[in-house]
Amino acid sequence: MDVGQILANGIVLGALYACIAVGFSLVWGVLNVINMLHGSFIILGGYLTYFAWAYSGINPVVFLPVVALILYGLGFAVQYLFINKVVSAPVLTTLTLTFGLDMILYNVMTVVFTATPRRITLDLGSVDFFGVILPVDRVVGMALALILTGLLYAVMRTSKIGRAIVAVRMDRQAAELMGIRVNRIYAITFGIGALMAGAAGAVFAMVFPVTTNLTGAFLGKAFVICVIGGLGSVPGALVGGLALGIIESFSGYVLGPQHAITVGFVLMLILLVVRPTGLVGVKGYE
Amino acid sequence: MAEPLLEIEKLEAGYGDVQVLWDVTMAVEPGEIACIVGSNGAGKTTLLRTISGLIKPRGGTIRFAGGEIGGRAPDHVLGGGIAHVPEGRRLFKGLSVRDNLMLGAYLRDDREAIEADLEKVLELFPILKDRARQDATTLSGGEQQMCAIGRGIMARPKLLMIDELSLGLAPRLVDRLGEALIEINRTGLTILLVEQDVMTAFEIARHAYVIETGRVSMAGSTKVLGDDPRIRQAYMGL
Ligand SMILES: Nc1ncnc2c1ncn2[C@@H]1O[C@H](COP(=O)(O)OP(=O)(O)OP(=O)(O)O)[C@@H](O)[C@H]1O
Ligand SMILES: [Mg+2]
Repeated sequence: MDVGQILANGIVLGALYACIAVGFSLVWGVLNVINMLHGSFIILGGYLTYFAWAYSGINPVVFLPVVALILYGLGFAVQYLFINKVVSAPVLTTLTLTFGLDMILYNVMTVVFTATPRRITLDLGSVDFFGVILPVDRVVGMALALILTGLLYAVMRTSKIGRAIVAVRMDRQAAELMGIRVNRIYAITFGIGALMAGAAGAVFAMVFPVTTNLTGAFLGKAFVICVIGGLGSVPGALVGGLALGIIESFSGYVLGPQHAITVGFVLMLILLVVRPTGLVGVKGYE
Repeated sequence: MAEPLLEIEKLEAGYGDVQVLWDVTMAVEPGEIACIVGSNGAGKTTLLRTISGLIKPRGGTIRFAGGEIGGRAPDHVLGGGIAHVPEGRRLFKGLSVRDNLMLGAYLRDDREAIEADLEKVLELFPILKDRARQDATTLSGGEQQMCAIGRGIMARPKLLMIDELSLGLAPRLVDRLGEALIEINRTGLTILLVEQDVMTAFEIARHAYVIETGRVSMAGSTKVLGDDPRIRQAYMGL
């Protein structure tokens, strides 16, 4: 396999990774909550899209906004009902809480959907781009992932809600003095995190098989990407995601695919020591 | 005498086991500039925080524009017309000057009026216009204070409370800010100023309340208080 092909595979994977991590990064950065539910949110989004497609036969892209909205509602409710009660507690408390909620969601999903890997097959063929061969569904998935990530960036930068989220992140009390209801912003932020997870899952199911067994792997990847790219920014998640995708692609080729994940984690450990702020330092949430 | 805009009676407030404010009674007339002065730790900031709803009062009443606001949440108090420019400016890092100013108008949705108010703020403090796209926390101290005041104005309040206008600023800048406040006040905005620097406060304000260890120890017109030997000795070093 030539370098161009490996790189292209890495970029496709990396775009999906960025989309997977960006919501996790937002929640961690703004709420200081490490959301253990994130992996399950992704899989839930994937399954919902899969079954909607399987039963209706309609193009799954149509379901993406619906699934995203359902996940938003779920995330908002989880934050509002549970996490807001303990959000100012030490990070371990919220970690334990989301861990517990994740066990519940995971089990419910396993019972309802079973752990059978599911994949939407679109049969779009593949394109040959200067000798690099890419399946069209992957290109579509990459494009969707980048569009979603870009949309989040735009919302954070230009909307009133985006400004309020940054304000709450930077100075909770001063934000209150602006009339911002902090608990509401927390719930919205968590909702957006879940929305991005659900959307990422929907995209993922169009490209790779999804199964509940993957929730931990997704969570782990989101974690690694945040550390690589730096916490709390869309560009950080994008850089981290692309970096991880490309690294996995190359190390998978050189060392064998079974070692690709290990390499990602080793890299994370090195970065933690050398550059704890990640490749893209923390500024406002952008 | 007109009905006071803000009327506080027998207010008690504090943090946890510590009571800071004791039996505070004061009033601010509509259209005036009033000030609260007192030394470090007297409870001035605590008083403003209680008014703006960051702290719940333990007793007493806070009436504003005829309605009781004691214990109401900050968004309610701000929506009712009291903006609080906090001690130390507290601008939002990572957001531009413009975004910081726009956050002042968070509760409003009258888009055109917001844009018009933004223009007015930028006219009042032209330097902010040049810095509009810059991260607000990279401004100089004086510019940050202008931005913080502008952010307060963007809420279009009836009462603007400013905590420590002069903190850490050169005298010339403080004069400049004082003039700006007088200018804003002329447009009908009532101002409550909190200051450690009594000279500055008395130059700008018409009425003053002196707070000592959480109690109002003296009150009156700044003309009269400014000649009071106790004030001159304790707060002006004269
Ligand atoms: N968050 C807090 N928790 C506990 N005690 C506090 C808190 N904030 C202030 N205090 C105490 O309340 C008292 C009054 O503080 P406050 O900040 O209101 O004074 P101040 O008059 O504004 O002082 P300064 O002029 O230094 O700003 C002080 O004794 C202070 O230690
Ligand atoms: Mg103070």
